[in-house]
Amino acid sequence: MARLKIENLYKAYGATKVLKGIDLEIEDGGFLVLVGPSGCGKSTLLNCIAGLEDVTSGDVIIGERSVTELHPSKRDIAMVFQSYALYPNMTVEKNISFGLEIRGMTKPDRIKAIEEVADMLQIRELLKRKPSQLSGGQRQRVAMGRALVRNPQVFLFDEPLSNLDAKLRVDMRTEIKRLHKRMGTTIVYVTHDQIEALTLATRIAVMKDGIVQQFGTPDQIYNDPVNMFVADFMGSPAMNLLPGKVVKKADGLMLSLDGHDGVMLLPVPLTDDLQARVGKRVIFGIRPEAFTDPQGADRESKQVEKRDCFVEVVEPAGSDTFAVVKLGGKSAVARLRADAHIVAETVTGLAFNMGKAVFFDPDSGERIK
Amino acid sequence: MSGATQDNALKGSGATRIIIYTVLILFMIFYLLPLYVMLTNSLKPLEEIRGGDMLALPKNWTIEPWRAAWSYAQIGVQPTGLKPYFINSIFMVVPAVLISTSLGALNGYVLTKWSFRGSDLVFGLLLLACFIPFQIVLIPMARILGILGLAGTTSGLVLVHTIYGLGFTTLFFRNYYAAFPTELVRAAQIDGAGFFQIFWRILAPSSAPIAVVTIIWQFTNVWNDFLFGVSFADFDSIPMTVALNNLVNSSTGVKEYNVHFAGAILAALPTLIVYIVSGRYFVRGLMAGAVKG
Amino acid sequence: MIDRFQNWLPRMVLAPSFFLVLIFVYGFILYTGYLSMTDSKMLPSYNWVGFANYEKLFRLRHWNTAITNLAIFGILYIGISSAIGLLLAILLDQKIRAEGFIRPIYLYPMALSFIVTGTAWKWFLDPGIGLENTMHQWGWASFHFNWIKDRNYAIYTVVIAAVWQSSGFVMAMFLAGLRGVDNEIIKAAQIDGATGFRIYRKIIIPMMRPVFLSAFVVLAHLAIKAYDLVVALTGGGPGRATELPATFMYSYTFTRNQMGVGASSAIIMLIMIFSIIVPYVYSELRAGGKR
Repeated sequence: MARLKIENLYKAYGATKVLKGIDLEIEDGGFLVLVGPSGCGKSTLLNCIAGLEDVTSGDVIIGERSVTELHPSKRDIAMVFQSYALYPNMTVEKNISFGLEIRGMTKPDRIKAIEEVADMLQIRELLKRKPSQLSGGQRQRVAMGRALVRNPQVFLFDEPLSNLDAKLRVDMRTEIKRLHKRMGTTIVYVTHDQIEALTLATRIAVMKDGIVQQFGTPDQIYNDPVNMFVADFMGSPAMNLLPGKVVKKADGLMLSLDGHDGVMLLPVPLTDDLQARVGKRVIFGIRPEAFTDPQGADRESKQVEKRDCFVEVVEPAGSDTFAVVKLGGKSAVARLRADAHIVAETVTGLAFNMGKAVFFDPDSGERIK
Repeated sequence: MSGATQDNALKGSGATRIIIYTVLILFMIFYLLPLYVMLTNSLKPLEEIRGGDMLALPKNWTIEPWRAAWSYAQIGVQPTGLKPYFINSIFMVVPAVLISTSLGALNGYVLTKWSFRGSDLVFGLLLLACFIPFQIVLIPMARILGILGLAGTTSGLVLVHTIYGLGFTTLFFRNYYAAFPTELVRAAQIDGAGFFQIFWRILAPSSAPIAVVTIIWQFTNVWNDFLFGVSFADFDSIPMTVALNNLVNSSTGVKEYNVHFAGAILAALPTLIVYIVSGRYFVRGLMAGAVKG
Repeated sequence: MIDRFQNWLPRMVLAPSFFLVLIFVYGFILYTGYLSMTDSKMLPSYNWVGFANYEKLFRLRHWNTAITNLAIFGILYIGISSAIGLLLAILLDQKIRAEGFIRPIYLYPMALSFIVTGTAWKWFLDPGIGLENTMHQWGWASFHFNWIKDRNYAIYTVVIAAVWQSSGFVMAMFLAGLRGVDNEIIKAAQIDGATGFRIYRKIIIPMMRPVFLSAFVVLAHLAIKAYDLVVALTGGGPGRATELPATFMYSYTFTRNQMGVGASSAIIMLIMIFSIIVPYVYSELRAGGKR
């Protein structure tokens, strides 16, 4: 077990820069999730950590030692691949022990190690089978077994759940979290699924275009996004990002939005940055769960504001009901309790929890605090 | 030609079906006739061929022409039959096929899983080399074989066939390994396996289908080659095709057609057997050779 | 240290093939190209004569015969093989119950050596003993078929034998192409009211353009290389009536001791093949992209 540190890492293929100066650090036993849309460089970064791709410049440090120049097998890592990458010609047992065999471990030791891992993952009865005889979930377990048996310093996961169906994915997610708790090994985990990121990580790095947009705890990433990209990417349904304007009124700063019958005003905190923007356009960001029916609103928040909104569409989703509201010239989504009384194409009072509101610069997309 | 359930079939009356089957059967006769004629006439005495109907079955069955063709027919100046040449061909084909297939497999492995700057250029050169007219290399090859001391030897022919087979064997393996998941190679790297370990333990066990295709393709091409054989072989190394041509086109003596036919079938037998046993792979090789990229 | 070795290993593995091909293919091409500009006779000589061999080549009656024959042979061979191949592929595509039995029969000649094919057809077409004789035996006294002995027609017997050998292969290519056509497009055409051969003519065959191209390239390249078949079937005769560039090159280089002229004819063959193959391979590689 060890901490992992990435320093000023660059990766280019010819003239194409894929990673542009990555700095990350995860503590011993931490769970780092790299998340971002496809093409953001997250898998390349993982491959650079693994040593499967050479870095152009920068350093990868595991524990106290730089591994940048080392062969993958010398970095004391193990990796679980998206396609599982089980060797098709070997049994499950062989798959798990192949790395040990290559490293020259004796047969009795190998058998012991296999059995230990098989028990931990409950795949004992699969040991003699070939990968082609396994279901997706079983393959996933075997792939994890192959990584676990090596007992490495760092585990690398490359979108390990993306080939599973929805239900199995949730189960395996829990399983991975449980394993992490039990083993306490440092993990780096790549995904494009922001829910996986939020549920698993102790630290999240949100990436785009080869740059880490924000690096922080799940809570920071979700509640305190540094820019519009992070705000929009994390969370489902996505955060409402509505164009508005900061105006100064007698009782303080207000956000002015286009409502269904003229301008809607919402109070905003009196920060320097917002004051500096009086009369200018801003993007108002509010998560669907902070925009809800008055009964469902957070009772502890003192900044709940009720306003009349025109509900265009109502989408019951079982545990919640979503209402699509025309606001600021866009469609905003409000998340209501499942049994909220709401009718489409009517005007209804909805609550804005302004304590959760965030603001962005419409041109740069950066956060306005 | 996978048996996917396609339905391009024309909806036709019974008459249409009869026409279709008639055409198909006529072409079957067209393709089978020469083989049938060779076979039946190789079992007839010479007088019966001269006097008679080539389509008729033998009246007096005899295997003498086969024995003659195999062991004592006059070939060139010596009455050796085709047997020594058959053996020459075997000694030429087996190493040539094995070496070019092995090299092709390793090349395909490097080109797909370890490609480096310039490896595409190497592949392009290998690919283009598949199609050159071999006349272009005859003159320098004759000289080089002389310089290497391989002129007129089976080893020389093995070298020639290995080199000019490399393009296709590499192409076959490259296309096959291109579809082989690269993640498996990466997983093996992390497991600590080296270049050759990955090849032997991970790729090679899954390569049986393409190896069969390649071996059949190379075997057929090398066995059937005439140009290199006639250009570079001496008595000790003359392959079957050249010997057959010498047998058939020797200007001296009576033309023993029945012996010629027996000889022709003997020359065709190895590739025919391969085709009958594994026609599916043979066709796949032809297709792979035709559709590149 | 070990890591560096592992990095160089792939190059070292590819290197022998690379150098073999570089020398034995491209080096040899250059060497032959050089010889074609010298006055080499029986042995290579290094007296530069420029394009004299080429000028001589194109004045030679034999070469012009060879080129004319190649044109006749190439056009007929490609045309007839494609026509038969397409016809058989379409017919076999009609849910023929015995397809698995018929298809290998159409294809087996491809497994034979051209020498075997030539031997079989040489005899079959021989008027004294083959088809003509048999027809006479059967009582059709006026049947006459002596192309193989006729200077003006002998080249067509080469076409017959070559078509016999390769048309089954073309059939297999077309059949694979037909089976690869998207089923839903055919269904859509049927719903649009197209039936029978119109679906083939208007929908399927136009979609098989890549297969036609592949077939053309393969057959054209086989035609230019054709050597064994002519040697075994006609020996280039009667006279030199079935001379092709490949046989011309061989006889001028090795029996007539005109190596310079032989080399120049080989270069012309190479140019012919590359003018077909290079654009094809280039477009295939581009379309295939880096997989």
